[in-house]
Amino acid sequence: MEMDSLPNGNSTASTAPTSGTMNAATANTAAPPSSKLAQLTESLKLEHQFLRVPFEHYKKTIRANHRVVEKEMSAVISGVAEAADGNLSGDDAVNHLNSLVSRLQGLKRKLEEGSRAEHLQAQRCRVRLDHLESADSENMSEWNNTRLKRIIVDYMLRMSYYDTAVKLAECSNIQDLVDIDVFQEAKRVIDALQNKDVSPALAWCTDNKFRLKKSKSKLEFQLRLQEFIELVRAENNMRAIAYARKYLAPWGATHMKELQRVMATLAFKRDTECSTYKVLFEPKQWDYLVDQFKQEFCKLYGMTLEPLLNIYLQAGLSALKTPYCYEDDCTKEDPLSQEGFRTLALPLPYSKQHHSKLVCYITKELMDTENPPQVLPNGYVYSTKALEEMAKKNDGKITCPRTGLVSDAKCLGKFPGLELMLICAYTDICFNVTQTCTYSVSLGVTGIIPWIIHKEL
Amino acid sequence: MDLNTIKDAFDCAAKKQKLSHSKAEEVIDQIRQEIENALERMQSINNLDSELDYRSILSELKTSLHNIAPPRQLEGPQKELNAALVKYVKALEKSFNLDISKAYRNIDYDIHTLNQVVAGHFYRQGLFDVGDQFISEAGEPESTATIKSLFLEMYQILEAMKNQDLGPAITWAATNSDKLTQSGSDLHLKLHTMQFVKILENGSRDEALQYARTYLAPFGSNHMADIQKLMACLLWIGKLDRSPYHALLSPAKWDVLSEELKRQFCNLLGLSCNSPLSVTIAAGIQTLPPLLKFMNVMAGKKQEWQSMNQLPVPVELDREFQFHSIFVCPVSKEQATEDNPPMLMSCGHVLCKQSIMKMSKNSTKMFKCPYCPFDVDAVQCRQLYL
Repeated sequence: MEMDSLPNGNSTASTAPTSGTMNAATANTAAPPSSKLAQLTESLKLEHQFLRVPFEHYKKTIRANHRVVEKEMSAVISGVAEAADGNLSGDDAVNHLNSLVSRLQGLKRKLEEGSRAEHLQAQRCRVRLDHLESADSENMSEWNNTRLKRIIVDYMLRMSYYDTAVKLAECSNIQDLVDIDVFQEAKRVIDALQNKDVSPALAWCTDNKFRLKKSKSKLEFQLRLQEFIELVRAENNMRAIAYARKYLAPWGATHMKELQRVMATLAFKRDTECSTYKVLFEPKQWDYLVDQFKQEFCKLYGMTLEPLLNIYLQAGLSALKTPYCYEDDCTKEDPLSQEGFRTLALPLPYSKQHHSKLVCYITKELMDTENPPQVLPNGYVYSTKALEEMAKKNDGKITCPRTGLVSDAKCLGKFPGLELMLICAYTDICFNVTQTCTYSVSLGVTGIIPWIIHKEL
Repeated sequence: MDLNTIKDAFDCAAKKQKLSHSKAEEVIDQIRQEIENALERMQSINNLDSELDYRSILSELKTSLHNIAPPRQLEGPQKELNAALVKYVKALEKSFNLDISKAYRNIDYDIHTLNQVVAGHFYRQGLFDVGDQFISEAGEPESTATIKSLFLEMYQILEAMKNQDLGPAITWAATNSDKLTQSGSDLHLKLHTMQFVKILENGSRDEALQYARTYLAPFGSNHMADIQKLMACLLWIGKLDRSPYHALLSPAKWDVLSEELKRQFCNLLGLSCNSPLSVTIAAGIQTLPPLLKFMNVMAGKKQEWQSMNQLPVPVELDREFQFHSIFVCPVSKEQATEDNPPMLMSCGHVLCKQSIMKMSKNSTKMFKCPYCPFDVDAVQCRQLYL
């Protein structure tokens, strides 16, 4: 058993191999930074939503504030015009102008408040930009940890687990990196919809009228349809008709079919058995409205329609999924050894590999030139390191952990006594055949290597 | 990706917002000024009580407000602001992947399973309160929390170690010492070593000696060399930092030891040492970029994507995500399967069975190894088990 961490106080000879492996280790870690850096950049490019959402929020606040200013100002101006054109007595005119002045004062106060809100949101946008910038190879594990937390908070917000989302954000101190306040707005609407109340949703549609129109959203129409259905359900037919005239008819030009279908419920009534109309009265229509709202909401803020967790999880599961994952002896380090992950991965594609990769069954380490694969007489492959270790412990005897075959380590191969054959252990070695194409010589070789070059290896 | 240009674009937008804001304030003040002036004039002529004068003052005010033309004054800065806002959005869209759900397969996740995975992750990370709240808010059954009790002990031990208290860790290691030895771990000794060094640091030779006799001696049969070194430390008591053994004092040792304990603890529980959710998401983050690139190229193949049995592009994951041996036949470029296993040829090179069958015309003739000038007899090829 090695106590690798114990320093050697006296012997320089014994430090030599340590420093040798140290060099190898540092060489290994020093080699990939450029690819690591590229990987980091690529992963940062996935963070569109992270920057976009607070910015949309900021924009929205700016626009709302601006609208208030415009409205109030034109109200004041037309107030003056009215006074000038009307027939006011002297005192009335003074009073009128005074009220306009105080109205302007009120507006200025509002403007200041609005500006504070804008400032806070601008700040949040900056914090996020800085957070992305702060990611480098040194703080990677901490940064990744925070990212995972952000992803989970996003999941909980979308699933309406608000309290836990707030708690996780608070205890990890990442409030500025997640969109809890944005989702508060959605929560009000969703809660109301779940209580069969469409008014907050309709108010939300009015607030975002222009952008919803631009994206040809029919959320408002669907909300109106539901309100109509509720009137029919209550057998309030006259009001239903009046409602339809006022709110549904304008949608006739674009959504005539749905309009007609809903109108027919007047004839069929709530307890109809006719399936076309029966579904319209079902309570799950409200769930459908919630989903529709969530979709529009996400679109408006530049979020992905699916929770980030689902997206990353799906990609990760696919990349990890191999036929071996579902076998009984799947290593426990593989997430796909767990029932839950296996279930989630079931409908997903398998990963694709172009290069062979050999993981030692015993040590679970990836084999490479430093620790090449060797094959026992029965065809089972293990890493040199694992076999050497085993031989050392058991007086040169090697027991195949999968078949129980005992081999003696005495006469052949790299270490005496065992018929071990080095299978081409050139994994990870690359060399240029021509300037343009690089052949990766490994168990899985791209292209056929001229044997002369091979011999030089 | 150039974050600086994006930052500049944002600063520009924020600046324009400030401009537009101060313009609005300015215009409001202007209007108020005009109205207040008019009021003053009206009050000064109050005594004359001439209706005509009111009229003229009011219509003058109307004209002057019309001349100020607030809407037009606001329009300019507002336009610039809008342009800056649009520019920032464009900058974002240019530098980032606009829609990372492009490579998403529309399947209904079982929410229940997903929630279990998330709850398990919380407990594994030691976020016990968050986990409890999550379970109750998501309405998952209490049984989801079974994993919690397993990890409570581990985090108590780790928390104590953060405060340089090895007591709970040593107690745990002593209770599980057989299992630890069985799995080939010397954690128990490492913990005692750390405790011994702590005593040395405090400069109490007798106590250190006593500790070594009681706790280190039993490891003598297997770890004599290590214990000898530790005993030599006694010579440098009080100045260990200047001794050849100063590395023992490194604060990083505590982190290493904590990591090791975590690994062994999970190992004894029969669990992976990293949260499986962390591992999967990390793999997903590496996988998405190439996948999205592919989806951009194959924009029209969205339909196919939904039913593919294998990812359309190879994804090179880092070492830590390699859990299984994969053999890709260098001739056919196909992944080996149970029906098409890797075969070792007599020269030591490996191909898949089907490739060998093809090259040997169903084992009827010898063929040349594609790697070396060796004539291979298909009959002598042996199957490999990776």
